[in-house]
Amino acid sequence: MQNKNSKYGEIQLVHRMTVIKRIIHWSFFAAIINNIITGFYIAYPFLIFGKTPTQADSLSTGILNSGETYQAFIMTWMREFHFIGAVIIDVIFFVWLYLAFFSWKEPLYKSFIPFGDKLEEAWRMLKHYFTLKDKPKTDRYQDPLNAIIFTLFHLLILLQMLTGFQMYVASFTGTSAVGAWWPWLLHFSTDWTLVVFGGLTGVTLVHLFIMWLIMIFIVYHIYIEVWRSIMWKEGDILIPFGGYKYMRNKSESE
Amino acid sequence: MASEHHSDSNDSNPNGNNPDTDFKWDPLRFISKKPDEVLKKVDDRLDALEKEYFSDKKDKEENLPNILGIYGVSRRDFLKWTAFLTSALMLPYIFKPRVARAANILTRTPFIWLDMADCMGNTEGFLRTAHPTPAEIILNYVSVNYMESIMAPAGYQAEARRTETVKKYKGKYILVVEGAIPTGMDGKFLTIGAKGDTGLKIAKETAKHAGVIIAVGNCAAYGGIPAANPNPTSAVGLSSVTDRSVINIPACPANPVNLVGTLVEYILIGKAPQLDSIGRPLWAYSGRLHDNCYRRGHFEAGEYVREWGDEGAKKQYCLYMMGCKGPFTWNNCTIAEYNQDISFPMRAGHGCIGCSQPAFWDRMTPFEKPNADAKIIIPGVEATADEFGVGLFAAAGAGIAAHAIYTGIKKKKEHKKSKNEDSEKNDDNKKE
Ligand code: HEM
Ligand code: HEM
Ligand code: SF4
Ligand code: SF4
Repeated sequence: MQNKNSKYGEIQLVHRMTVIKRIIHWSFFAAIINNIITGFYIAYPFLIFGKTPTQADSLSTGILNSGETYQAFIMTWMREFHFIGAVIIDVIFFVWLYLAFFSWKEPLYKSFIPFGDKLEEAWRMLKHYFTLKDKPKTDRYQDPLNAIIFTLFHLLILLQMLTGFQMYVASFTGTSAVGAWWPWLLHFSTDWTLVVFGGLTGVTLVHLFIMWLIMIFIVYHIYIEVWRSIMWKEGDILIPFGGYKYMRNKSESE
Repeated sequence: MASEHHSDSNDSNPNGNNPDTDFKWDPLRFISKKPDEVLKKVDDRLDALEKEYFSDKKDKEENLPNILGIYGVSRRDFLKWTAFLTSALMLPYIFKPRVARAANILTRTPFIWLDMADCMGNTEGFLRTAHPTPAEIILNYVSVNYMESIMAPAGYQAEARRTETVKKYKGKYILVVEGAIPTGMDGKFLTIGAKGDTGLKIAKETAKHAGVIIAVGNCAAYGGIPAANPNPTSAVGLSSVTDRSVINIPACPANPVNLVGTLVEYILIGKAPQLDSIGRPLWAYSGRLHDNCYRRGHFEAGEYVREWGDEGAKKQYCLYMMGCKGPFTWNNCTIAEYNQDISFPMRAGHGCIGCSQPAFWDRMTPFEKPNADAKIIIPGVEATADEFGVGLFAAAGAGIAAHAIYTGIKKKKEHKKSKNEDSEKNDDNKKE
């Protein structure tokens, strides 16, 4: 009988996420959670402030009633934080785009461009999710299935940015504190959303709907990373914390 | 196009606005950089028009007082109104007497008003006010060569009047069109007059030689209610049937101030005012209602009317939760105001319904519910964005849970199996 070690092969440490990527990951996490909460509030102002008797008998107002109008700028704060989150998301998106191609260590395009055996490999991973057999080897680079899903997720974020900026630029009247180029740029890059989604109301609804798709991604993403960690025993969940995961040089059933 | 909030690229703009100068949109259309020259140009133009339309000095000076006198509007009221219009047009104070002169000329300018598929709400709004402001009076008294609802001639005579005006004042007459233009079945859904010409034909022909073309009301501008889904008559706005540049004065009904202001500006400089990308004069439509609403403070404070007539409604809280579409609508209702400059929807306690935006009947509904409660348009789905989102989310959650359970069971089984078999292939994966 062979011992455990040789059954799975040697355990090795693989570097998977640079510090920058880890910072990105958790800032992304914080910003998106923030934007879901504040965005939801903008769509449905669920906390009502103010001292009107008919409105104050709900629990939330009872607790959070902050007094007179001038003391209670809750919507202002929600929008403010939504915009702060949006700025973080925008910056992260562009950094991600850059790193996807020019990262020294782990450019994403190595995994996500679905050429050659990449698609097949993604398909094998998908099969593995359901058969639990034939785990594809996961090493230095993201596996193609994850890479494709992360890419789709970033496209959602891009759409969220475009619809968001269209709503944002709505209150500009031609110029801004930094000059006329800024609203011009926003109009230039996002006005097509008005045509495609049917005016500003449609754009807003798309923004709202994408929020749900993003939430679905988050649940899926956390589930699958936990699942991998349990099933593969390679510590995948540690990637965004320490930057490393483990790898066995033999896969279980190959 | 810096000051625009709607689609279309630069080159499709009928006015060829320049992005560099666009923000400093000038009510005088950059007719000159030198102030003195601007005034001279405007004055020359006014002089020429006065010569053309008034027989003598007496005629010129008594025209307006006569008209206003009928309605008991004093000279003082009129002067106040010119001050109001001058500032609404964002012109400097020095233009006040010139605005008054332009208003005077306006009453004599040849004028054709066409009614297409519509409810004539704009006509009614302008002509039937109990205490008309100078704007409404002037509209009432423009030298109407053709306006079905008020002209004396009928039938063939009326038509003749129109064609005559078109011929006689080629390139000079003002054309105002109210109502959408059905284009289905060659326009036969709308026939007008003794000869039974289609509205499509009349609109096209009359537009061809007009000095300035104005589409008043949402229907004429963007198709409005006749064009609402499913649009059985394929109704469209005026700009879709003519290749000439059309000034849109949407709203339901349009504010007389916006129509008269635009006409006055045309008289002053002989050009259409600068427009946004969906054809609306910037002087009137560059501001979003939500940004100029007196209830905005309550919006920011999170103070909302939740129910008609509740305490918040009495305190004039924000109508966002009652479906106010001010955040999606550009117009100057909150500034120029309706009904003899007295009020506008939000002041009256009801949200905006977005009547100056394209397709408002489809895109701004339900009018009394927040936008987030609108149904989303995905074929085969009849749900709000949230209902659909929650549905997908729940489905995804169920899928994940199923996968987790499946994994658990399968793993257990395999565990047993591998204990029994305990055999495995040795396949060397290459090291990094
Ligand atoms: C809003 C929430 C989250 C978002 C949007 C998100 C997004 C992402 C993205 C885009 C990547 C790919 C990183 C890259 O290489 O560019 C990633 C990787 C990863 N995330 Fe998250 N993440 C979220 C939350 C979490 C949480 C809560 C965990 C852990 C409990 C987690 C664990 C991981 C792991 C383990 C990876 C590495 C996957 C791999 O490289 O194979 N994520 N995440
Ligand atoms: C994960 C990312 C995001 C989520 C989940 C999210 C969610 C939401 C939601 C639910 C709304 C309310 C829509 C409604 O009124 O029905 C909203 C509004 C808005 N979002 Fe986002 N958003 C995100 C990112 C962004 C980004 C990147 C921008 C970029 C500028 C942005 C800008 C806006 C703006 C301007 C509004 C309108 C605020 C207002 O009407 O006062 N959002 N967002
Ligand atoms: S009432 Fe309407 S326009 Fe006014 S602040 Fe509220 S949402 Fe905006
Ligand atoms: S407030 Fe809105 S609905 Fe009312 S007239 Fe103005 S644009 Fe139309």
